[in-house]
Amino acid sequence: MLLPFFLRSLEAAMIFTFAGLGELVNQRSGVLNVGIEGMMLFGATVGFIVAQSSGSYVAGFLAGAAVGLLLGLLHAFFSITLRVDQVVSGMGIWIFGFGVTTYLGAPHAGPLGMERLQTLFGISPFVYVAVALTLVTWFVLQRTSLGLALRAAGETPAVAEVSGINVTRLRYLATAFGGLMGGFAGALYALYYNPVWNYNFIMGWGFISLALVFFSMWNPVVLFGGAVLFGLLWQLSLNPELLAVGVLSRYLWRTTPFIATMLILVVISTGWFRRRWGAARPQALGQPYIKE
Amino acid sequence: MDTDLWANIQPGEELLAARGITKRFANGVLANDHVDFDIRAQEVHALLGENGAGKTTLMNILFGYLQPDEGQIYLRGRPVRFNSPQDALRHGIGMVHQYRKLVPAHTVLENIILGHPKARGVINERRAAEEIAALAESYGFRIDLKAYVWQLTEGERQVVEIIKALYRGAHILIMDEPTSALTPTETEQLLQAIERMTSSNLGVVPFITHKLPVVLRISHRVSILRRGRIVATLKTAETNERELARLLVGRDVIFDVKKPPQEPGEPVLELQNVSALSDKGTPALRDVSFTLREGQILGIAGVLGNGQHELAEVIAGLRPVESGRILFRGQDITRAPVLERWRMGIGYTPAERTEVGSIPDFSLVENVALNHFWDRQYVRSGFLDYGRLRSLTRNILDEFKVVAAGPEARGKTLSGGNLQKVIMGRVLARKPRLLVANLPAQGLDIGAIEFVQQQLLAARSQGTAIILISEDLDEILMLSDIIAPMYEGQIMALLKAEEADRETVGTLIAGGQVRRSAG
Repeated sequence: MLLPFFLRSLEAAMIFTFAGLGELVNQRSGVLNVGIEGMMLFGATVGFIVAQSSGSYVAGFLAGAAVGLLLGLLHAFFSITLRVDQVVSGMGIWIFGFGVTTYLGAPHAGPLGMERLQTLFGISPFVYVAVALTLVTWFVLQRTSLGLALRAAGETPAVAEVSGINVTRLRYLATAFGGLMGGFAGALYALYYNPVWNYNFIMGWGFISLALVFFSMWNPVVLFGGAVLFGLLWQLSLNPELLAVGVLSRYLWRTTPFIATMLILVVISTGWFRRRWGAARPQALGQPYIKE
Repeated sequence: MDTDLWANIQPGEELLAARGITKRFANGVLANDHVDFDIRAQEVHALLGENGAGKTTLMNILFGYLQPDEGQIYLRGRPVRFNSPQDALRHGIGMVHQYRKLVPAHTVLENIILGHPKARGVINERRAAEEIAALAESYGFRIDLKAYVWQLTEGERQVVEIIKALYRGAHILIMDEPTSALTPTETEQLLQAIERMTSSNLGVVPFITHKLPVVLRISHRVSILRRGRIVATLKTAETNERELARLLVGRDVIFDVKKPPQEPGEPVLELQNVSALSDKGTPALRDVSFTLREGQILGIAGVLGNGQHELAEVIAGLRPVESGRILFRGQDITRAPVLERWRMGIGYTPAERTEVGSIPDFSLVENVALNHFWDRQYVRSGFLDYGRLRSLTRNILDEFKVVAAGPEARGKTLSGGNLQKVIMGRVLARKPRLLVANLPAQGLDIGAIEFVQQQLLAARSQGTAIILISEDLDEILMLSDIIAPMYEGQIMALLKAEEADRETVGTLIAGGQVRRSAG
């Protein structure tokens, strides 16, 4: 009873991890992507439709990642080139995603109807990929010149520029990566974790991933820990009887991951937290870079 | 990087020459008018010019931020063109910015290797650290490569910028206001470092606004830029402070503003063990106590970041007091709101002229109104009386000799000096009993500095108590009745003007101990 619960939690964690790592890299370059929920919805729906129509999982994953990449570039164009407020651009992409995917997916509502993907020691092989990617992301950010340049672009873009770094190009790259990962995480959700299309079936997982980035203090390893924590919480909200039988309504239990998200956001907004950890936040996060 | 370019440099050889540099901006201003300038190996060639003289434009052209309309830059006789700062870096030009271009959240090492062409792919931190340490050693710099830049003092940050430029292979070092934010000790260290750098075939070009003693001390030659033109290039050994000042301003300058003796009056402001936090939540003011009387100027000396800013804000009511009490004319104002303090006769001129001191998009009348809108005089039947505010603004513009299109001109159209005059004028128009002047002369021209200082003395002779925050020790020594050196949030001593000298104050603001004679 408990083992499947934990395994399933890890699979939820892998989706938070993929989306969260994309968002984390994105933010460390100085660009906030609030539209990650919309990108996941797009990745999930397009991936679902392509896989179902072609009968190929590979095509589904590629399509999901590709549509995420395109949306990432769109967000980059708005927020970097046009210097639209990053929150406004992100919200626009979310609302756009919500509306368009509802329309696109409606004819495909229901189960995917394909043979389930294989597992490795009881869990999706992508869980192992998520762990590896977490470590790779950490290494690239902390130990390579690309990571150093990316972090500098998110802290003080003017300094990066005068040191010979093309801030605009780096931010584009990071934002495209954020979109790609969001789209892929969405496809993974729709093709593996919950392969039954319904409108808005991402159910806020994008926003949870976004909150996890703040929670992680922009550290990929901590992000993975947070993703596991939320994976457990999510499973618990679906199966409260594991902890306490008959206490409270099932529907109240369903809200726990979101309440936990809010609590985390409240805690990290306190002066106490900022005094201790405030330095981790990229200084130029959310600010468009204007070349002198 | 073009390695041939810098091979076999002979001492005294011309490294860089700018010939006939001309730059005209879109608004028709001729910022550089046929500027000729050169720098030789082992030489410090200072460039002296007031704000608006075209100094920044020339610096930006030499570092590739701007391209000249006419003229040519030569490196060792070869014509070159810099399309960007990266171009200039590749050609061996290094820049040490006045407002440091460093990433505060990164380590010293990360800052130095950021963007370095050699650091590609996976960074070999150990090798980079060894190379940088050896380089720093050869110029006599000591720096902890693992420290975070935000932990460093201004002087240490400057060292990081210098090492970064040298590590990139700079042969010519442009330094913007190199001594502006340094303590006397740090200044001394910098000057010695510059001497060492010039003994190894580098050329150093400090750009300086008005610190004439620094120019005389470090440079071999000095060029003076006025209204976009080089008015003279002199051998430093053959000139003096007075001649430089005359060339700089275009007229004779009186250096000593005379402070008439004056008996202090009743106590105006009393701080009792006041402590406060910085924006980051760390202790910024520790147990600050003093009493200030009518007609006294209290000069707060110190390097920025030692609590001066927080002190000004605590008195102005913009920052909460953690412990201690503030009394204004015997009344406890520790928790009094800002407006109440203004009404009681406290005035504040913030250091951040365009962020806190004024609203750039507002007209001068509106900016003046920000300091008077609550005054009954300027309110008629519940509405602001713009007629009166306009005539008040006009008076301020006349009295303070502000160069502006008129009361309706926007704040952002004014130069720094003129904006500061408006900010001071609107406060002084209220005849405040206490004026907190936070860096009133920072970044202004000699002419404007003189004017601001005279206004402070005029207010003093009318009985206004003044808190003067400044990084310029000479200014503090010249104007203050009491001198309070600050270090790490503490007032190290309260010295009477007669018993204070440069050395004592300089030691105290660097955290040093001074042996005091008994009594």
